[in-house]
Amino acid sequence: MDISLFQAVLLGICACLSSMPGLGGTTFGNYTLGRPLVAGLVVGLILGDVRSGIIIGAAIQVIYIALVTPGGTVSADVRAISYIGIPLAICAVKGMGLDPATTQAQSMAAALGAAVGTLGTVLFYGTATMNLIWQHIGWKAVERGDFRKLYVVNMGLPWISHIICSFIPTVIITMAGAGMVGIMKSYLPMDGIAMKTLFTVGSLLPAVGIAILLKQVVKKGMDFITFFFGFTLAACLGLNLIATAIIGSFFAVINYKVIMAQNKKTVVAAGSVDDDDDEEDI
Amino acid sequence: MKKLSKKTLNKSFFTWFYGNLTCFSQEHMQTFGYLCAMLPVVEELYDDNDKQKEAMSTYTAFFNTEPQIGTLVVGMTAGLEEAKANNQPIDSEAINGIRAGLMGPLAGIGDSMIVGTLIPILLGIGLGLSTGGNPLGAIFYIVVWNALMFFGMKFAYFKGYELGGKAVEILVGEQAQAIRDSIIMIGTIVMGAVAASWINIHTAWVLPGGGELQKTLDGIYPKMLSGITVVFCWWLMTKKNISPTMVMLLLVVIAFVGVLAGFFNPGLSY
Repeated sequence: MDISLFQAVLLGICACLSSMPGLGGTTFGNYTLGRPLVAGLVVGLILGDVRSGIIIGAAIQVIYIALVTPGGTVSADVRAISYIGIPLAICAVKGMGLDPATTQAQSMAAALGAAVGTLGTVLFYGTATMNLIWQHIGWKAVERGDFRKLYVVNMGLPWISHIICSFIPTVIITMAGAGMVGIMKSYLPMDGIAMKTLFTVGSLLPAVGIAILLKQVVKKGMDFITFFFGFTLAACLGLNLIATAIIGSFFAVINYKVIMAQNKKTVVAAGSVDDDDDEEDI
Repeated sequence: MKKLSKKTLNKSFFTWFYGNLTCFSQEHMQTFGYLCAMLPVVEELYDDNDKQKEAMSTYTAFFNTEPQIGTLVVGMTAGLEEAKANNQPIDSEAINGIRAGLMGPLAGIGDSMIVGTLIPILLGIGLGLSTGGNPLGAIFYIVVWNALMFFGMKFAYFKGYELGGKAVEILVGEQAQAIRDSIIMIGTIVMGAVAASWINIHTAWVLPGGGELQKTLDGIYPKMLSGITVVFCWWLMTKKNISPTMVMLLLVVIAFVGVLAGFFNPGLSY
């Protein structure tokens, strides 16, 4: 499967819009176009295979379900995952004759997506560093009181950073990468150690994505009970995600009422104590 | 008595909504987004360029938070700047104190509630709707996420503008804490289901007696290996402070050794 120049250019534009810091804005760029689930649809439309795009985008999405960038440190770059990783994964899966719906194809996509995403952090640091030049121009304008120039600095000039760090790399890598699948196929047999490892890594990687998320909410072993409650609903009872979300909401409502009742009790108790111990407090 | 027009406030809001991170650098993360969002406000409140310069200099200080929840701060400072222009007892230093004081706590709330809970829940449901390559999941996420954020941020901006300093109560009060706690609970339960539906770790190990280890494990607790791997990765990251990238590399080693030992075998050929 080949990627034409026109298709690569479209992917390149999406890369400029979707990155963090991207030109589509935070909400619509980074958190919408940049999510692999959405990118799967977009890339599928560009490459003319929506079904493969969605299945592969979804498989990669699990690894990056909670991509938090605290204080601007990133462990993976969304533009690289979504607009370099997904197109390459689609080419690889189809080039190897796998059905995208199989677990193996999804493992392969996950491994490729994660590798590209990690290497892609260099694009993030490149963009952020280049933006320093425009900010320097901005400070000069602020000193002079020429404030209108700030709009150009904030929303116009960063396009130059993105043409260099997002657009050009995406166009070159997606066009060159599509042809690599044939070479990979002839040198790395599917039943060899390398490919077996690649597929196995891909099946393990989604666990990292979930663990990154749990890192924020699970502080001690006991907190895992909430997580495994949901896990069991799906694994043992076979409930889908919407059903699980509804059951989860039910317990959340109970939880809310319990906390509020406790708060009320504390206020009442604190109030009565205050009456008795006024003098001691002073 | 100076009063900001609805048009100016809207312009300020849209500038922030779009441009909060467009000119990001490690040195001044959201500072330029903030300056641009305050420009319409300052231009309307002060006619003279020197006064504009003085007002804008307040916002040249470093700013970075979770930008979506941070809209509240932008709205608050628009309200405070208006109060300052009307000679009320508030100065640049007080405005910057509020800004600097809120950056950290709001980043914490925003990262855990929006990026760490709301997005994963919406993506989780979206993933559930994508089965078999159905575009409905992606469309669901695009529509619901953008609608929630657009109206949510607009609400935050105008609440911040109206209430000024008191707006923070909405986010850190006792009731807000209980709501946050409960929403995180939904998020954790949904993530459990996402893990069970989307992680497929199987072993190809054959037991000495001839039975398959995978069948035995399924008999004890389905998807047991997937659950154990998640806990293992969490343990490495939380208790051992290993970075996600290092954990991924460690999994490559585990996969390699597992394949050599015959524990893992995807069972494919061309």
